[in-house]
Amino acid sequence: MPTLVPTSEENAIYELCLLYPDNLSQKEEAQLLKEVEGLFDEAGGKQMVKDLWGKRGLAYPIKKHAEGNFAVLYYEIDPQKIKEINHQLLILPNVLRHLIVKPPKNYEVVKYSEHYEKWLKERKTVSETKAKEEEKVLQQKVVERARRQAKRAEEVKKEEQAAKPAVQEAELTEKLEKLISDEDIGL
Amino acid sequence: MPRPSSRHQQQAQQKPPRPKVCPFCEHMAKYIDYKDYPTLKPYTDYFGNIRQRYYTGICLKHQKMLREAIERARFMGMLAYRK
Repeated sequence: MPTLVPTSEENAIYELCLLYPDNLSQKEEAQLLKEVEGLFDEAGGKQMVKDLWGKRGLAYPIKKHAEGNFAVLYYEIDPQKIKEINHQLLILPNVLRHLIVKPPKNYEVVKYSEHYEKWLKERKTVSETKAKEEEKVLQQKVVERARRQAKRAEEVKKEEQAAKPAVQEAELTEKLEKLISDEDIGL
Repeated sequence: MPRPSSRHQQQAQQKPPRPKVCPFCEHMAKYIDYKDYPTLKPYTDYFGNIRQRYYTGICLKHQKMLREAIERARFMGMLAYRK
């Protein structure tokens, strides 16, 4: 991506971000962009980079529009003329929001339209892998629980088995003692 | 049998807390762009407020830049003011 450096010391680089509604026809859209570019051309600006983002959802409704189109333009222009352009942009119809920013020195232009789409795709894959990992962990937990329950059941069985003969022995001895102590049986 | 150590001794045995590292300082960021939605999003909470520096570990210099970027993004309708 190109780094933006003004050609002369008098001029500076400005970044214009435009937000216009989604429901414009192609003709209107082209006309709007032409008007905006015309404003800069009149003031003697020179376009450096143009980046059209296309349709994007808005975080909150602006003039009852839930979606909007973004356009980012980079211009090299005389700083004294930017104020009037800003005022003109406020008057233009079909412009929901606009923001003129002076990027820092040696600013490297990044086309965020591509960035955003890439991020959207990556986010999907990331969320999918996360869900898969969570499922794996859950399955492991279930398996471990089943094992533990099985172990516990075995232990309980063993204890019962160990306890049963003791009881039987006690009963046996009691019976024997009864028999022995019985005086009716003559031995 | 060794006597169980008191709570005081246990705390002394624990490792010292990990120092916070600013995620922007790691990349040597000179400027935080308001158009960069994916990087700004994690620094806002569910309600759209900017996360405290205390929780994210950002240095003061970058927090100020981040605030500027988030406020610009909010104006352009990329981030929410309030959910």
